[in-house]
Amino acid sequence: MTLKIGELKTDVATFRNLEIVLGRVEEEWEEPLGPTPMPSITSLRKWDYKLLSRYKPFYLPFCDLCCLCTFGKCDLTKDKKGACGIKMDAQQSRIVLLACCIGAATHTGHAREIVEFLIERFGRDYPLDLGDQVALEAPNIRLVTGIKPRTIGDLEEVLDYVEEQIAHLLASTHTGQEGNNLDFESKVFHAGMLDHVAMEVADIAQIAAFNFPKGDPEAPLAQLGLGVVDLSKPVILVIGHNVIPSVYIVDYLNETGLKDEVEVCGLCCTAHDITRYSDRAKIIGPISWELRFIRTGVPDVIVVDEQCIRTDVLDEAMKINAPLIAASEKACRGLPDRSNDPVEEIVEDLVSGRQKGVLILDMDKIGEVAAKVAIRLAPKRKKFKALPSVEEIVEEAKKCRNCGFCQKACPNSLPIPEAMARAKEGDLSKLADLYDYCIACGRCESACPSGINIITMMVKSSERRIKNEIFNVRVGRGPIQDTEIRDVGRSIVLGEIPGIIAFVGCANYADGGHELVEMAEEFLKRKYIVVVSGCAAMTIGMYKNEEGKTLYELYPGNFDAGCLVNVGSCVSNSHISGAAIKIANIFAKRPLRANYMEIADYILNRVGAVGIAWGAMSQKAAAIASGFWRLGVPVIVGPHGAKYRRMLLGRKERKEDWYVYDARTGKKVYVGPVPEHLFYAAETKEEAMVMAAKLCMRANDTTKGRAIKLTHYIDLYKKFYGKMPDDIHLFVRRLADIPITMKDEILAELKKKGWKETEIPDPTLIEELVRVKEE
Amino acid sequence: MKFEPYQTAEIPGPLKAIPIERPQTVAGIIRNAKRPIVIIGSKIFDVAPERTIRDIIEISREVGAEIVVTGGINRKFEELGVKEFRSMPAMELADRLRDPGWKGFDGKGNYDLAIFVGFRYYYAWLILSGLKHFSPDGFRTLSIEPYYQPHATFSLYNMKIDAWADYISSIKESLKRG
Ligand code: SF4
Ligand code: SF4
Ligand code: SF4
Repeated sequence: MTLKIGELKTDVATFRNLEIVLGRVEEEWEEPLGPTPMPSITSLRKWDYKLLSRYKPFYLPFCDLCCLCTFGKCDLTKDKKGACGIKMDAQQSRIVLLACCIGAATHTGHAREIVEFLIERFGRDYPLDLGDQVALEAPNIRLVTGIKPRTIGDLEEVLDYVEEQIAHLLASTHTGQEGNNLDFESKVFHAGMLDHVAMEVADIAQIAAFNFPKGDPEAPLAQLGLGVVDLSKPVILVIGHNVIPSVYIVDYLNETGLKDEVEVCGLCCTAHDITRYSDRAKIIGPISWELRFIRTGVPDVIVVDEQCIRTDVLDEAMKINAPLIAASEKACRGLPDRSNDPVEEIVEDLVSGRQKGVLILDMDKIGEVAAKVAIRLAPKRKKFKALPSVEEIVEEAKKCRNCGFCQKACPNSLPIPEAMARAKEGDLSKLADLYDYCIACGRCESACPSGINIITMMVKSSERRIKNEIFNVRVGRGPIQDTEIRDVGRSIVLGEIPGIIAFVGCANYADGGHELVEMAEEFLKRKYIVVVSGCAAMTIGMYKNEEGKTLYELYPGNFDAGCLVNVGSCVSNSHISGAAIKIANIFAKRPLRANYMEIADYILNRVGAVGIAWGAMSQKAAAIASGFWRLGVPVIVGPHGAKYRRMLLGRKERKEDWYVYDARTGKKVYVGPVPEHLFYAAETKEEAMVMAAKLCMRANDTTKGRAIKLTHYIDLYKKFYGKMPDDIHLFVRRLADIPITMKDEILAELKKKGWKETEIPDPTLIEELVRVKEE
Repeated sequence: MKFEPYQTAEIPGPLKAIPIERPQTVAGIIRNAKRPIVIIGSKIFDVAPERTIRDIIEISREVGAEIVVTGGINRKFEELGVKEFRSMPAMELADRLRDPGWKGFDGKGNYDLAIFVGFRYYYAWLILSGLKHFSPDGFRTLSIEPYYQPHATFSLYNMKIDAWADYISSIKESLKRG
């Protein structure tokens, strides 16, 4: 309810045109409220069950036990039940839900912090202006909550809703609550949907308040890599996901005229976001570059905010004599809280080494402390800025007893003992070979009984190459413009642009990051729209062609065929789901406001988008993926992604699973297995590429669009498998679907399978969307 | 160490694979299966010497087992002169193996023994776990990788590649002897 008061006089002031908003945000939004504003944890259950009846969960348990309460441990092997009555399928989905709640809560906590902070700094009425080209500023928020946020203050109510829902979801994982695996899965989808709302809150707030690029396809290039840092300057390293402390560091350097004197570089999403704010900031790399970079000794001070930061970062910082500043309540790391102490005292304690690290929650102090400490310490730290000598490395290798514990501990089973044996002889080449395949997790070191610094040795062995690790990455541009959606919406929905492939997620690669680059390039050449975010966006920038160019320099940043769009950090993933939602709303004019099911149904049946999270590692990545699933966007993960312990797989040969309603007639029509899976862990990049091309096919494709999509699917299949795929008959509906260049081959294949033409309906899974009922 | 999971922290149980020390016993398990299927993962060429890959193919032929290669290694397989094999992503195949209603590649029904080799340790570990818990009665898995795979029904143990190659060769010999 809104009270408007023309003039209010009090003892201290006169207020004119005062507007007091009570309760729910009332916005001027002509669109009527749709059926599911702020859905409860069961409001969309019907939709979830439709998806789950096609895409059945296949669980891959980590162990046979449950140990979540003192009734246990319980053995859930095969058909056994726990003391609470739960069975293995429900238990696995329960763990998936827990992971997704952790992920969604993390983004929500992050968003809440940003919103509160910005309200304090800029006021509740600070407008959410995302630029002239982005009128539809909050597609996820509008779709899920029915709120059209105008100001940063409006986002509070959105977060109230999300937080309440996460509490309910978490509660449902308590012993003796939810007990059915499909209901757990429905809640997993709910957590994912909430996650995208929270990410959108965080990103649109920071874009508006910090003036990040606002959907700019020509966002500038930033430097990326271990070699980008100017070693002659003091170096501040920022790590994490919440950009606020880093903004204060940059501001302090700007305000004090020190911006050219001090290097600010970052790891993980804070690095993405600080380059969206400052043209001087540099990106070191994804999370897996953390140990590597710290071990080089280059950072003079390390500032950590939140999420995906090594929890032993203090130990690592101490090894190189660099002080640590923790800047998040969520990760205090055992450090003394110095937020209320005078800056000079804190600086003195850190520079003198009296304190190895501090917790500072007052952002105004962080910039000054970090800068002053870096400047004072840099000259003293010179001797720490060098890696051990080759001789020292050879000596270190001699400590190796060839026990093999490191290899057993290594997630990628890298042959470290072999490399050590060679290093003992003075040959470091094998150690250097491991560099590309190592995710720098440190498990090998932790396992080594001789205490060998394996990662430092690998870094030293690759030193020359590391110095040349200087790449360009396009700065995260944020949302997709409404005009871009208008321009490409038709081509996507009709299938003429073969698909949108989103490379997202962390850097837990099973066979090195170059695989991601190969995949991205393959789809760019084929004129897919390639969208990237987070660590994946960094990895894609870490390889150059013969001319020394990265993919960002070779392909434009528009949301269009054959373009490479970096939306930004983890929270910018909401712009990828947002783009799919915008296609349904802006291009197809489907009502958006609180109309989740219809929009998801539209995307599932019409928008050929696929996510590839090749190195997905975190719980946040799980939540992001589940938000895509509920919207009808399939996600492929790399081999380590199998550890999310549940796939959502379709069965293409089960004809009964692939019927939709024809919205024009109400008739049920077979449309083939499109898209075939919702969540799938590929074994190799080849498998992933073929699958991605296949998963872009959608029920609504026109014959021309289907022919284009089939061309890519078949062509990729032949390229990697050396023959025709044996399921083409499931994807050809009409003769006109057949790519002309492959006509004879395909016809022969269809004949073998006894193929018959089928209809192309106006597809929907939702009975209520049928316009004319069948007689 | 011999019968411990190869990769650190992959602690399984309570139900763990029966470790098999003698190749002849493995040959017996394969011979007794009614409908065995051999599933060869994308890492086979990184792990196995060519003679071992040939032995595995011969083992499959000896008992008339369907060979399925996963992960898109078809071309390399053809280079070995092997023509008779199927291909399917491993996850899709595992999803079908757990379904008693699946008709198999030849339409004659699901398989009763799935033999795994050539996978990343953890990837096979998870698939084997899925099959351990969610497959129908009578369905069994056998890992013939050169390490202990605890979620299989039967598994070899951790061994050096040379010893493994000999072990696989002995399975083949044993099957040939009948
Ligand atoms: S939650 Fe259930 S299955 Fe888990 S330990 Fe408790 S009683 Fe056992
Ligand atoms: S740091 Fe590298 S080599 Fe060591 S365990 Fe991790 S991935 Fe393996
Ligand atoms: S764990 Fe250490 S001692 Fe053992 S093989 Fe590896 S590097 Fe050598």
